[in-house]
Amino acid sequence: MDADRATRTEATLRNADVIMAPERLGAMHQTRISFVRTLIRRMAQQQWKVSKQEWQLCPQGFGHVIYKLATPHHVYHLVVFCDQIADNERNDRVIAEKWDVTFALVYGYVDVSLLEKLRSNVPLQEAGRNPNNVLVLARANKSVRVFEHIVSHLAKGVQPNTKDLAEVGYILRTTAVYGNGKFGIADFKLLDKNPDFEQSFSAQMCAVYLLRAFSLDWVNYLATQRGGEQATELHSELQRYLGVGNATGLGMAPYLINHPCIVDQWITTRETALAAVLDCVTEADKLAPLQVLLQKAIRHLEQVMTINETQQKLNTIALGELTSLYENLVTLVAQSQYWRDLLVQSQHLSLETQEILAACLMELYPELVDVYQEQMNCDETLSLPSGKKIQDLLLILEKNYRWAINTDFTQPENQYWFWYRSQDKEEPRLGVRGEEPGDDRESLLDIGRQANRLYHVLLGQASERFLVEFLVQYPQYRTIARRVWTMGNKAMGDIQMNVLHKASLPMHLLRCKLSMFGATTFDPRSDRWVRVTFFQGAPLLDEIHAQTAKDDWLFPLLPNQDELLNNEQPLGSKGL
Amino acid sequence: MIVSHNELVAAVNKAFLGMRRSCGEADIIANMVADLQIMGLHGVRHFNNASAFMGLENDCPADIKVTGKNTIEVDLHNCSLACYLPVVMDYAIEKMVGFKSLKIEINNCHNRWLAYSELVKLSAKGIACMAKWDNGSAPNRTLYVLNGGRITPALFLSDEVNASEQRLHDMTIELSVRDFDVVRLSEGYSMHVDPNTFAQAQNSAWKNGVFIEDAQWNALKQTATAILVENSEQSVKGAGGLS
Repeated sequence: MDADRATRTEATLRNADVIMAPERLGAMHQTRISFVRTLIRRMAQQQWKVSKQEWQLCPQGFGHVIYKLATPHHVYHLVVFCDQIADNERNDRVIAEKWDVTFALVYGYVDVSLLEKLRSNVPLQEAGRNPNNVLVLARANKSVRVFEHIVSHLAKGVQPNTKDLAEVGYILRTTAVYGNGKFGIADFKLLDKNPDFEQSFSAQMCAVYLLRAFSLDWVNYLATQRGGEQATELHSELQRYLGVGNATGLGMAPYLINHPCIVDQWITTRETALAAVLDCVTEADKLAPLQVLLQKAIRHLEQVMTINETQQKLNTIALGELTSLYENLVTLVAQSQYWRDLLVQSQHLSLETQEILAACLMELYPELVDVYQEQMNCDETLSLPSGKKIQDLLLILEKNYRWAINTDFTQPENQYWFWYRSQDKEEPRLGVRGEEPGDDRESLLDIGRQANRLYHVLLGQASERFLVEFLVQYPQYRTIARRVWTMGNKAMGDIQMNVLHKASLPMHLLRCKLSMFGATTFDPRSDRWVRVTFFQGAPLLDEIHAQTAKDDWLFPLLPNQDELLNNEQPLGSKGL
Repeated sequence: MIVSHNELVAAVNKAFLGMRRSCGEADIIANMVADLQIMGLHGVRHFNNASAFMGLENDCPADIKVTGKNTIEVDLHNCSLACYLPVVMDYAIEKMVGFKSLKIEINNCHNRWLAYSELVKLSAKGIACMAKWDNGSAPNRTLYVLNGGRITPALFLSDEVNASEQRLHDMTIELSVRDFDVVRLSEGYSMHVDPNTFAQAQNSAWKNGVFIEDAQWNALKQTATAILVENSEQSVKGAGGLS
């Protein structure tokens, strides 16, 4: 059966034209093999240990803290600096210069000399220089309202109001998490033989997870400082509910365009894992777990707070569709020989609903899906093989780049925007072509337009002409030719989005990457930046240490009153 | 200055893109520079030298002609080799089919050190590569050999002027399916740097960061600012208004 499944899986990935369409990418959700899920499984399975090494905070909560992380292979430390900043200095944009919290994940040990070096540089973020045993450099700001609400309640010995927590879902919100050699820190290549962090973004995810532990320890500490003996710790169910917020802007979008092989690898891996599930015969004993997952999805969407009207509408539609799907699930599953049949039956539903169903189905088969979690890395080389002719590249373009070659780039709306980098910390930005300065320094994210131009110039060549001869004459097309050839021969290929189009939404790109990371609670604040939450609902460190961590935190839910009453002993961070 | 490999690649990439040239590929040139720099062969200095002139150079295709059954002649019109070598090598490899060796004479070119990255790609695939050129100042003659499978070169330098045929802006590259006789080729070169020395430098750079002279790094960073658009009230809105 396995061999049969493997053969069929090769042939039954969902179509790239469907999956790589921007609206579909913009409806993606966390799955079992999103990076945060993989990290927590690894931490639990390998019994990673986290302990407080230093807690040098003043009663107001400023100073530094060091956590030690010991894996079976290596030792790391998370060094956190907490600074007092004025409310008007708290800014989530890249161009900010002060933050409530700055932190670094360090490979190995932190001696006095290194600590002082970090103290002088980590709070400066982009303006500092850090040694290359720093794996991750990041910063975060408080959700001032939630922070104060939690601390003031705990100080009085009472738990915070769950409704207030649900409106935000985190205590700290990261505004940038840097890895891979940024500002002098370690290149990702240094980790390629590191069994802890050899997968894309795993070190960054770990640093954020440890920050979540710190945020919980921090509010408990401040409550005690403020309330003394009267104070209580945050209830463990509420601790588990709180994640780390993240504010992501346009800066994330160019990554997806500039690293097409990585995006293809991530999506292909996810689709291959999904295909392994879809090719399974529907089983009666999977019905109840699927119902539970759909119920969780419904409750999760009910609890998601977003000010974005478009997202509100999408969530409302998905809520209605999921409720109907849940109510008719027994019949629908009975009509489906394979899980694929169920997904096919859902194709008339919204993309949000389809992708939620896909994530739920993947959850049913951890034994089939989790094996793909280690397949997120790839070679990023874009190359052209020898011996190819004009007609070979034309075929690839006509098969895989219809979205580009069918676009009329003489129409103003098809190249309305131009992307550029600002002098403000090189922040990526969008400008209106012809109206704003800078289109002479446009960033080359216009893959659709480049592919279109390549196609039309190739049409004017003899089809039997060798590509190398063409490129000697027209070397300006070699970059896009390498990309088209390489991506056109991959399972998913390029994202099928003209990012210059007047109606193009960078939000879709942000959501694609964030969902691969494992973000939840998508709250677009405009079409160019979004707030999300990481590790909301994830097991607490105590649970990882005690080997009681559950791997069931897709669609995090606010604990209900019963859960809060039935478990009055807070786990908190006493185990650290 | 110690920088990461990724920082170096990103800086060169931006610097080249800022030149807005049609010929030349930023990602490839960035690796040309980094591959040299991590071996201690001054990739950034070579790129900075190149970038001082690239804006003045022709931005037109190279002229390539097959001059013998396994010889190719290329005229780069006094342009940087960095912008053209990948196209030239693609062409050469295709012409090499059916031959055991190939000679490429590249005339009227600059920044010849930057060829290394493209050649090491071939040697990693088992094709032996040899490159040599004359220079107007010391070292007057340079030769390196990358025999099949090698990822660092055997480098030979000489201060002796090639009196009979000095070609100060040309370069000869030879490719072969058989390894080159390094001893024979290096006759007359007084200085020799072993491949292992470069391998150690490479390992150290990956482990401890890449060393670049401060002045060179600052010059590169300055060039890389050419793509940046000055800040304005309107451009701040273009970021999406995160607050």
